Amino acid sequence: MSISTPQAGGNRRPSSKPAAGGKPAPDASGDKPKADAADARTPTDKPARPAKAARSGATSGSSPRARTTAAERSAGGRATGGRSGGGNRPPTAGRGGGGGRPPITPVKINQGRHWGPVALISSVSLVAAAIVVFAVYEVHQNGRGWQSKADAIQGIVDYRKTETDLLKPAQHAYGKINYPQSPPVGGTHNYNWERCQGDVYPDQIPNENAVHALEHGAVWVTYNPSLPKDEVDQLASKVRGNDFMLMSPYPGLDKPISLQAWGFQLKLDHANDPRIDQFIKDLRVNATMEPGVTCGQDSGSYVTKTGPDPANLGQSGAPAPAGMPSVAGS
Amino acid sequence: MFGLFATPRRRALTIGTVVAVLALVIGFGAGWLAPSLRTPGDNSPEAGFARDMSTHHAQAVSMAMTAYPKATMPEVRQMAYDIALSQQNQIGVMQTWLRDWNLEPTGSQPKMAWMPGGTQELTPDGLMPGMATDAQLQQLSSATGKQVDILFCQLMLRHHLGGIHMIDALLQLSHNQQVRDLAQTMKTNQQAEVDQMQTLLTQLGAEPLSS
Repeated sequence: MSISTPQAGGNRRPSSKPAAGGKPAPDASGDKPKADAADARTPTDKPARPAKAARSGATSGSSPRARTTAAERSAGGRATGGRSGGGNRPPTAGRGGGGGRPPITPVKINQGRHWGPVALISSVSLVAAAIVVFAVYEVHQNGRGWQSKADAIQGIVDYRKTETDLLKPAQHAYGKINYPQSPPVGGTHNYNWERCQGDVYPDQIPNENAVHALEHGAVWVTYNPSLPKDEVDQLASKVRGNDFMLMSPYPGLDKPISLQAWGFQLKLDHANDPRIDQFIKDLRVNATMEPGVTCGQDSGSYVTKTGPDPANLGQSGAPAPAGMPSVAGS
Repeated sequence: MFGLFATPRRRALTIGTVVAVLALVIGFGAGWLAPSLRTPGDNSPEAGFARDMSTHHAQAVSMAMTAYPKATMPEVRQMAYDIALSQQNQIGVMQTWLRDWNLEPTGSQPKMAWMPGGTQELTPDGLMPGMATDAQLQQLSSATGKQVDILFCQLMLRHHLGGIHMIDALLQLSHNQQVRDLAQTMKTNQQAEVDQMQTLLTQLGAEPLSS
């Protein structure tokens, strides 16, 4: 069968030749050229392919047609394209024409395309690309800012978008302060912050001190005093022992539960709502207006006061007690 | 469309281009992802440690700030000053890690879940090992005179031992050098302070807390 192996490539794959040539063909006259063609082509191809090509040649059966294809090929592609053609074929062309001899071309059939390997490589690449793209998307989503994550919580109100004063430096003041939101989510507040190191207050706490805790990055959990005890306990378990969290009942609350961070509010009906954890995850500490400040320090600077009226620790002519870290208008 | 496959050359070019583009997409995406694959994840011991130790430290800072202005022994005041400032700084470092790792300050799992059996070590009040109860904080807050020195040393000594316990867990679990380095330094410092506080308590004629 090694009839036409003029080029160096010819003897490189003797194994594939018997397979191609050995195919029993019903039409003996058609067999020869077909075999020639297969021979010449074989070295260029991957081992799997010649058999298939030969097979398809055998079934379609007409050698003239095979030759036409070969001619077209060598004229249109291989001969002109030569070694510059990229992709999967050029090595052959280079090898075949390399000797300075004109490419001997009885040659080159390309009936069946290599759709098998092509499809395999393409689909594997596509799947790999899809996986990578998905992972990139996920990581990107994960890397979104906390504010856009919080904004995506269903039902949350982002007052930072509508009340832009909330983004300006907040002032300190003594005495009662009226807030547009209930419970309040930010604004001018008392000099002293309500301690927010996982404190669960059994009674109402002053708005003015709680807002100062929000400024420090705390999440303030409030509930209507009529909330069933088991739900109150469930809420408390999310607060107790967790820095930058505080919780208190809020008489007159228009919903059973309301969560506050500086500039954000989410009102809910039930303590088992998964949005509660989401709110805390997205906004606790992140929502601080003073990065690095704490929720409880020297006992002179925080209060654990309950009742509706603000605590005014250290109000004595001076604007604030000495040693208080948060005096500077922030 | 089929023109792209009309000749072998075109076909080769087309397929080559497609493969090259896909390879670029994969390569770029993988390169983009690589840093996030190397940083600790949301439920990693490193992230859990950074979050929980921040909370643990915050109470120490709080106690130290309470004791600092009113403790009577200069050695106690010096230690309170040192603890407040260094641990507040370490909180900042740990919070910055979380930000660098693209993680939130708040975890998805309960406190201490990163330690084997850790959640069982929480008190009913949700306090981590060594932390003072609210009543003890109130006690310290209202104490005066030598009682401040004694209470501070007692509470802080136990607080440090709880902290060292958590640090040991991290050192067992983590291979992140950056995290291990800080944890090891914390442990060394706190161990030294534990020894000092024991000495101070002896001088004050008091005992460490039993538990």
